[in-house]
This record gives sequence, C-alpha cells and structure tokens, in this order.
Amino acid sequence: MIQTTGFSRRRFLRTTGAAAAASFAAPALLRAQTSEIVIGCAGSHSAWMEEIVAPHMKSAIGADILFEGTKSSVNLEKMASNKDKPYLSVVQMDDPVMIQAVEADLLAPITPEAVPNMADLRPDAVHMEGMWCNYVQPWAGIAYNSDFLPEGVPAWEALWAPESKGQVIIPSLQNTEGAWTLFAAAMLATGKPFSEAQYEIDAAFAKLEALKPNLLSVYSTMSQAFNLLEQGEITMLAGNFSSYTLPRKAEGVPVDLAAPKEGIFAMPSGICLVKGGPNPELAQAYVNEMLGPDMQAAVADFAASVPANTTVKAGAAIPDGVEIHSPDWAFVAANRRAWIDRFDKLMAL
Amino acid sequence: MSGRLDRIGLLAVPALGFLAVVYALPLAMLLAKSVQGPDGFSLAEYRAFFADEYNLRVLFRTLRVAALTTALAFVIAYPTAFAMSRAKGIWLTVFLVALVLPMSLGVVVKAFAWSILFRANGVLNSALMGLGLTERPVRMLFTETALVVGAANVFLPFMVLPIYSVIRQLDARLPEAAASLGATPWFRFTRVTLPLTLPGVVAGSAFVFSLAVSMYVIPSLIVGERQQNLSMLIARSFLFLRNEALGSTLAAILLAIAIAVVLGSGWAAARLGARR
Repeated sequence: MIQTTGFSRRRFLRTTGAAAAASFAAPALLRAQTSEIVIGCAGSHSAWMEEIVAPHMKSAIGADILFEGTKSSVNLEKMASNKDKPYLSVVQMDDPVMIQAVEADLLAPITPEAVPNMADLRPDAVHMEGMWCNYVQPWAGIAYNSDFLPEGVPAWEALWAPESKGQVIIPSLQNTEGAWTLFAAAMLATGKPFSEAQYEIDAAFAKLEALKPNLLSVYSTMSQAFNLLEQGEITMLAGNFSSYTLPRKAEGVPVDLAAPKEGIFAMPSGICLVKGGPNPELAQAYVNEMLGPDMQAAVADFAASVPANTTVKAGAAIPDGVEIHSPDWAFVAANRRAWIDRFDKLMAL
Repeated sequence: MSGRLDRIGLLAVPALGFLAVVYALPLAMLLAKSVQGPDGFSLAEYRAFFADEYNLRVLFRTLRVAALTTALAFVIAYPTAFAMSRAKGIWLTVFLVALVLPMSLGVVVKAFAWSILFRANGVLNSALMGLGLTERPVRMLFTETALVVGAANVFLPFMVLPIYSVIRQLDARLPEAAASLGATPWFRFTRVTLPLTLPGVVAGSAFVFSLAVSMYVIPSLIVGERQQNLSMLIARSFLFLRNEALGSTLAAILLAIAIAVVLGSGWAAARLGARR
C-alpha cells in the first residue's frame, strides 16, 4: 500500500518555485544590507590587497572587501558591460585605461569633501579634476636574474645585445607595462630625449622588430614570465616594476630590478569611484583610507612603491641619477588599440 | 506508448530551457552583432577578417594545432582504451582514476609543471643530453610542439572514454571468427576491430577537436602572445581592442568550425553505424 504524504504536485511546484525565487533574490537583498563592497584591482596586487588592505578596511571602516584581481583592460570591460547596473564600487587600474573609463562616462569624481585625504596628495597624483587619483607608484625598469647577470643591466640597449639571443621576455602592449619597452625602443631608435621620443612610434616599432631574435616570448600573464626569470630560463624581463621584483628579491630569489641609464618609468596606479556603484559612501571611505597615511605607508612598504600622500615617508627608494619618465597618457590612450594590433602582428611567429 | 514517450521527452525541458537561456540567447545576440553595420545588415567584418593575412595565419594555426592535438590524443588513447577494456577489478579503477584525477588539477598548475619539464635545464633536456642525443638544450618552451603535447595531455580523457565505451561493447567473437578463417592479426585489426571501434574514435575526435580549436588558457600559458589562436583573438577584440563587431565575427567563425566538426562527425558516425 502506498501512503500519501498530503503533499500535492501543485503544492510541491508552488513551494519549489518560491524557494527558487528566494534563492535568486537573496544575494541581492542581503548585499543591499551588508557592508560588502567589490573592488576591481590588478591581479599582481592580490597579495597586499588581501594581507594589508582587507584587514585594515574591516577595522577602520567596517567594510567587507571582495577583490577581483585582473588586468586594467578587463576591469574596464567589466565596468562598461555593467554600466546600467554596476557591481564594482571602486576600481584600481592604470592611467591610460582611466582615460578610456572617463570617456565612456563610467567614473564618479572623487571630491575632497567626501575623501579628505585627497588634500595631502601630490598635485600630479590627481587627474582630470578628481576623476581618479594615483595612490602608490612603483617604478619600472628591467628585471634580471642576478645569478646570470651579476653586473646588472646598465642600459635598455642590453635587451638588443647579440649575447641575449632567446634570453628576453617582454610584456604585450595589452599590459600597461608593455609601453615601457616601446618607449625605450623609441629613445634608442631616435636618440631623442623621452619627451620627444615617445611620439616617434614608427621608429619604436622598427627598433622592436630588431628585438625579435632575442625574444623567448611575449607575455600577457606576468607571473609565468617572472617564474621563468627566477628559474634562469631567461635573463631579462623588460618593463617589470618595483612592486613585483623587489619583494621577490627581499625573499632571497636571485632577481633584481635594474634602473637603466636612459631612465625608468613611473607605473600609473590609479584609484577611482565607479559611477552608480553600490554602497557609494563606503566606497568613498575606502578611497579615503587608501589615500590616508596608514594605508599609504603600509602599501608603499609592502609593494616597494612611492606613496602619493606627501605626509608619508616610506616605500621604495627611487634610484639615484636616473630620470623618471611619465608618458603622455592621453596620447597612449588614443593610440593604444592600433598599437596592440600592430604589435601583435609584428611579434607573431 | 507514444503518449508515454512524449511525457518522458518532457524530462529534457529543464536542460533545453537552461541551454536556451545561458547558451542560445547570448550566442544569438553575439552573432547578431557580427552582421550589424552602421546602416543595418553588413558582412563587412567578415570581409575584413578574410582580407587580413594575419587573421588567415591565425585561423590556419588554430586548425593545425587542433588537428595535431586530436591526432596525438588518438595515438595515445586508442591502445589505452583497449588496455582498459581488458582490465578488471582494481586495475580498471586504477585506469579510471589515473584518467580522471588529473582533470581536477587546474590548467595553470599543469602549465607551470610543463615549464619544469620543457625548460632548458628541465627533465627532458637533461635526459636528451644525458643520453648523448643532443649537445646543447633543445628549445621546447613556447613552441607549437609543447602546445600540442600539453593540450593532448589535458584533453586525453575525452578521447579515451568514448573509444573505451565502444570497445567494451565489441563482440569479442568477431575477431576470433576472423582468426578461425585464417585472417592474420594485422588483417583482423584493420578489417574487423578498427572499423567496429571507429564510432568511438569519431566521437572522441569530435570532442577533442572542438575543445582544442577553442582553447584559450592553454595556449596563453604555453606559447604566449606570439602564437595567437582564434580564441586569443576573440579575447583581444573584446577586452583590449574593444571591438565587439570583430570579436563577434571571430566567435561566429569559431562556432561555424565547431558546428562543421559536430555535423561531420555525426554524419561519419551514422555512416559507420550503417556499415556495421
């Protein structure tokens, strides 16, 4: 004999339907009531974001931080794709991509009223009337394996040296740091100072073509390329930066960062508020903390970077005797897509 | 009877609904963008794609790597599937675990492991030089060979399992009957066993080719940006060039290849089934 449970088919459907609807709705309802904010950042920043930033934000402003670490261009795509209903509150990405984000009307301005620590920043760390700020700035040169090159790398021309055949990896132009090799090539090809050479892109690409015999690969995922440098599979990794190489050196890995005589580059690490992003007050508080002295000192020390807050004395020492170049990012942003296409075709095997 | 069948057919509705929402709908929206010009319907993006020599090289490379990966996976999988079909008890479990367990390991982890294997002072080069086969390290990292080996490694289960399932159903008396009629081992294999297992080979090849032709993470990690394939071009179009029309066009071309492979393998499997 079959016993009935008194649970009709219709009731079953009604119950499961309600449960499904509740499941779908629950995350949104819960999120609206919580102190959780989602931050887009660089994948290579995940270590210090988790170790330093997340605990500080929990204790200082009561925020539960979720990080999405990826490339700046991917962060931009996430913002653009979700423009009508943003889920990111704050994004930390590079200046040329910030310009594209401003053009696409994806950012909300940062104001000193909402973010008081903004007043202590270097004037050149605030861009387009507060649409974004630089928080810390690592410096970029050539990372090298110190077991194989104990004398270091004196000049950018070393990348082109015949003895470096198959020993070099450079970043793709899809990565912001890819621009450094391009600009170094422009300086070497034209013999002009950086301020003029950065616009000589045809000469830069011609010089880059001469680099091909020395290239083992072109990366868009830096960690694997850096791993090959540590293992001695390559001797030089162009365009790498202090926030990545110097902490590894401090851990005893045989790598170092060279400041070639032609100059080094300032990595453009920016922070912005997403227009219409969730929890705007908490997002502003997060940005304020990131620009404040405690976070600035902690991140600058951890990531061997230069703080943007003028009241902070910490972080990476800028190498003496070399010029720090900062490109015309508007020019980069306007031409970057065409450069990526040209670069990929030039470097293809 | 047919009414019962119809009701059983309703069991597929959740899967169909799921696919319609998460696959067909976004795909249709994506494909629509590939034929959308400023003045309405346009095939300009397709013409531009096929007019660019670089794109054709990428397309050819994508197909070549997928074909080589499928071929290598077949060469390794076919005898493995036979060994599995003969295995019993604990040995069959060992085979299945050895086949399935590596799938739980991420491709990123595998890529780092392969770099240890393929690098200049890695295991393979040390062995080659130790055996006196080469005097200096052979470049293996960032080569198409490394990509094919790595991809075949990842996709191997998708070739082994369909072949294994067909071999298990093979009537062992048929090759024995051929032997009793005086057929040599080679004749028995080429005229009896191989034709009977071909449906499994076709299914496995369709799986592996479809996966290999659309892989993104594996080539990104193993050969980098200098040897782009179609999937890498799609990612570049959406994320870096911010050209949705180009990205959609590339996705449509990749989809057309996948559909051709599925239809072609279905046709081949049907013909082989009819011949049996």
